[in-house]
Amino acid sequence: MVTVRLPLLILSCAALVAGLTGAAHVPPAARASAAQAPSCGAPYRIERTLPGGAAWRLCWEMRTIEGLTLADVVYTPVGGAPISVLRSTALAQIHVPYDSGEPRFHDIGTLGENAVVLQEADCPGGERRERFVCVTVRPRGHAYLKPRPGEPNLSAQGSELVVYAAFEIGWYTYLVEWAFSDDGAITPRVGATGSLSGFTAAPEYGWPTKRGSTHVEQSHSHNVFWRLDFDVAGRGGDIVEQYDFTGSGTARRALGRKVLDKETAAVNRRTRWWRVADSETRNADGHRVSWEIGNSDSAEYRGPDDEAFTRADLYVSQYRDCERLATVNPAPDCAQSVDRYVNDERLTDPVVWVGVSYHHVARDEDADPMPTHWQGFRITPRDVTAENPR
Amino acid sequence: MGRGRTAAIAGAAALAGSLFLLGGGESPQAAGAPARSPLPGDPLTGEEITRAEQIASATLRAHMTSGRVEFLYVERDDDKAAADRRRADAYIYDYGANRLIVRTVDLGSGRVVAERAGKGVQAPPSRGEEARAAELLLADRRHGRAVRAAYAGAAGRALRSPAELGLRALIFSPRPKDRTARECASHRCVRLLVRLPDGTWLNTTRTVVDLSAKKILTLEW
Ligand SMILES: [Cu+2]
Repeated sequence: MVTVRLPLLILSCAALVAGLTGAAHVPPAARASAAQAPSCGAPYRIERTLPGGAAWRLCWEMRTIEGLTLADVVYTPVGGAPISVLRSTALAQIHVPYDSGEPRFHDIGTLGENAVVLQEADCPGGERRERFVCVTVRPRGHAYLKPRPGEPNLSAQGSELVVYAAFEIGWYTYLVEWAFSDDGAITPRVGATGSLSGFTAAPEYGWPTKRGSTHVEQSHSHNVFWRLDFDVAGRGGDIVEQYDFTGSGTARRALGRKVLDKETAAVNRRTRWWRVADSETRNADGHRVSWEIGNSDSAEYRGPDDEAFTRADLYVSQYRDCERLATVNPAPDCAQSVDRYVNDERLTDPVVWVGVSYHHVARDEDADPMPTHWQGFRITPRDVTAENPR
Repeated sequence: MGRGRTAAIAGAAALAGSLFLLGGGESPQAAGAPARSPLPGDPLTGEEITRAEQIASATLRAHMTSGRVEFLYVERDDDKAAADRRRADAYIYDYGANRLIVRTVDLGSGRVVAERAGKGVQAPPSRGEEARAAELLLADRRHGRAVRAAYAGAAGRALRSPAELGLRALIFSPRPKDRTARECASHRCVRLLVRLPDGTWLNTTRTVVDLSAKKILTLEW
């Protein structure tokens, strides 16, 4: 019971994987070093070993348009070697359409100019970087719990490194947060707080707040998009797969795997998920290392024809440096929205765009200051280590 | 009138001052850049931002002074293909041609290495444009009166300058049914959110400021 095989990352030899992918081959040595050298220095570098021994390293930047942007995200499992996960991630849009049809906002302007100065109390137990970014560690409950006959329970409390900033966009304050867990999971999420807009509507488009029934606060959606440029196990070699489980109404459920080798706009299904795997790197069990994307918590807003970017929940596009925002993309000679980034092009360097909707029907409790409502998704390691990394 | 004022801000004389002011603690960008030479993934330093603006604007000085062309802001260039170099994207708007220009400056060589330009595409409004949108709104008889009245109600005294308002502008792109704002498909139009001293925001969602035509538009819905 005590003997635990340490999770050890094995860089597969070239011969083993040659021909599995069209992506350019990068020698293992070069890939390993890609995870070694952070591209940023203090105070933009975050390096934290969590209480259980896992570590995360990343760079942050407050960009003028996208606001808090994280780069060169590297995970080190307990007893394992560093492995890169993301080259960069940031918000790509917050689209806020109201239920009567108007108004409809695209809330990313110059987010970086709207960062809220965080007070000490806004960053509990953490460290503020240049006044706008909080870096802290918080507990995440049981990492595992297993009773053992005649022995104490085998259990541990997990923790996560959290990096966040707050942005004031009109009535709303948006908390933009990424949590990096000691088990290798990443949780990007956005919390909306501040104030309700106070926009009123006919009763069918809202909910009566304040005294009586004269003020009908208008319902609306917060459609948040993230851009994720993965770099699983070094630069290059990322492949995206979609998994489905057939057999609704039957006893059997068969796994279906589809390699997304071309740009794709995908919609959610209850058991559907995706993963970004490296075509060359395998764990000690000989399985491809990957990070899985689940997106089951979205309200799946679907808008009118002129908002085609709302018609899918996850997009995979070939990397293009001018494609930064999911809508109102501020780049000449470039497509304007994520649905237009997807043109059937062959994927050699995939960028993943995840959209998560939250339908906000106001309630009396939302009176000032409005309680935070959260939306996000999960990125979990799949076969990064050969065992529970503990 | 708004244009003239902004031209002065974007002009060579005021250029360094305005940016250093931001770098000194107001703007999250390069707020307290460390005293070392930046690594490739570090944010732009205040000095780099200033230099990128100067290099990107060099051939546009006359147009900037006349107010035809306006410098917006600088963003660190994040093209993976040039990840080892310090490069900056300067966002510039040509009001004369209603064209967005993005000039990529290589800070190592001190040269503009790429330019993308196009019509009908918009980058987020700059601080200067937010201020100008507020001036246009206040100069409009009906809207100006409403804003001043709301301000007086919240502050207990009259509005002295637009700087007393909290301003946040977002690009307004017309939807097919927005007939009154059809020109915003090619013009630079913004929605201006206005915060009063009591922390409340005015309902300005039907109001669009056409910065290109210097007009206030009211949406019909
Ligand atoms: Cu809401």
